[in-house]
Amino acid sequence: MDLSFLQVVLWLIAGLVSFYFSIGNARVWTSISVGFFLILFGELLPHALPFLPGTGVPQVEAMGYIIGTISILVMSHGFQEYYVFSRTLELEGNKVYVYLTTLGVVGASLVFILINPEPSEETLRAIRIVGNTNWVFLSLINIDLIRKIYLNVKDSPISKGFLAFMIVFICIFLWKGSELYIQVYSLDLPSVMDAFPLRYQISQVTSMIGNLFASLSVGGTFLYLAKLLR
Amino acid sequence: MVLLPRGNPVKENVNPGKINLPAALEKLQIGKFSGYLRFDFAEETGVIIFENGRLISALFEGSSQRLIAYDAIATIFEISLEGNGRLNVYRLAPSLALSVHALLHGDLLYKGQELKLIDIKSLLGRLKVMAMSGCLRIYTSDRVALIFYRDGSPLGFFHDGSTDIETTADNSLSVARMPGAKVDVLTTKGAGEGMLADLMKSADVTALWNKAQGELARRSRTVEEETLRVRSVREKDRRQNLLAVLTAVSVKHLGKIGGSMVEKEFEKSLSGALDEASLMVFYDRLSKAAKLVAGASKINSMLDEMKKGAKGILEEG
Repeated sequence: MDLSFLQVVLWLIAGLVSFYFSIGNARVWTSISVGFFLILFGELLPHALPFLPGTGVPQVEAMGYIIGTISILVMSHGFQEYYVFSRTLELEGNKVYVYLTTLGVVGASLVFILINPEPSEETLRAIRIVGNTNWVFLSLINIDLIRKIYLNVKDSPISKGFLAFMIVFICIFLWKGSELYIQVYSLDLPSVMDAFPLRYQISQVTSMIGNLFASLSVGGTFLYLAKLLR
Repeated sequence: MVLLPRGNPVKENVNPGKINLPAALEKLQIGKFSGYLRFDFAEETGVIIFENGRLISALFEGSSQRLIAYDAIATIFEISLEGNGRLNVYRLAPSLALSVHALLHGDLLYKGQELKLIDIKSLLGRLKVMAMSGCLRIYTSDRVALIFYRDGSPLGFFHDGSTDIETTADNSLSVARMPGAKVDVLTTKGAGEGMLADLMKSADVTALWNKAQGELARRSRTVEEETLRVRSVREKDRRQNLLAVLTAVSVKHLGKIGGSMVEKEFEKSLSGALDEASLMVFYDRLSKAAKLVAGASKINSMLDEMKKGAKGILEEG
């Protein structure tokens, strides 16, 4: 069963909700919501390639994966900031700087792709592995960080929102972890797939369901946060 | 209460705390003044007697103490500087000034006898038999007359407005006839001119005055320090009460992190004076921090509750 289209639609909703959330709320939420918003591009670009003018352009596909990696870095930075705030109650910075810095990193990545040779299939695979590795390990770190944040803000109105984020990262871990597993063991290669069909099947299903629930939980979490912060 | 006829007034109802008393005494000394200075304080009376420019006597009398000479002068200075006294200066003949001095330092034989209840003839007869020197003090609530005796024989009268011992008894009798008139019988040991020292020569009244000023300044400082201490304690209590109220409200609306936010912002914004302006800064900063854990409606209701609590505490101050 191909859920790609549904996933794209759900990520589109989740991305728009998170971006809208970043505009109307405190500065510390900007990094987190912009990070989640960027997943939209990381997911949308590769899936939308067949319908876009840049079909088959490896640089566009590479940028999709890189933006996906940037998104987990930005949101992890946001959670770190929130954790520091929950410990020290100190908060610095400006929303605009977050937007501009993120745009700057995306721009720099684009320049990096453009000044280098056209990414081959192997290069794209390596970029995806790097991206998924980041996602997997930062998801685990974020789960622990969010647990600590939750303990710090336990009885505040926002606290349950962080439990929702833990669910989000568990879904993301399953989604990206199973993808990374397939990539590291090359389970998607026909010869390997034939040798380990069950592992591949389980990993594929896990990735698909993880992706689906991640998009659902991201959209739902931001809507829930919006309700809590009303 | 020292009961003396008023004599011939030179100055009346002067606040002794507002004049330089040593300088004033020096003027009286130079002017060969004879008479007395009467200092009336809330519960005490001071009398300084001059005879031909010599300060021959000083008396300070309160409900529980009686001081003479330098101690009396020093105490009169100290209490005068507090600014709540009244000074009257009366001129007398030198001989009368000496008599007044002798009277003030004499012994009280009978005190506060109702005139209408005693046999005055018998009393006078007894004084004659005893060959007493001294005086009868006849007084009402607002008038005093003295009848001096020497060796049991009447010498003369001293009443309000007179400057010397008079031989006519009209005024004294008029006091005696007043309702509620009382009589004291005082004996004197006799004080000749040559026997009395000039206290201004034997004591440095300026030094006594300076010491009194120093003492007053020290007392003022102590009172000021105590006032500041009390104010500081009260301010600290008020601050703690306010912090407790704000923290409780914040914990109620935002949980324990709300309490921490209040403590932090309280230290930043309300470490100085507790007033409306600094509270507004506090609310503003707290509101910004609270946005990270709560929504606007929750924050607004928290701030409303805080403002009500804080208002009560600020009004207490």
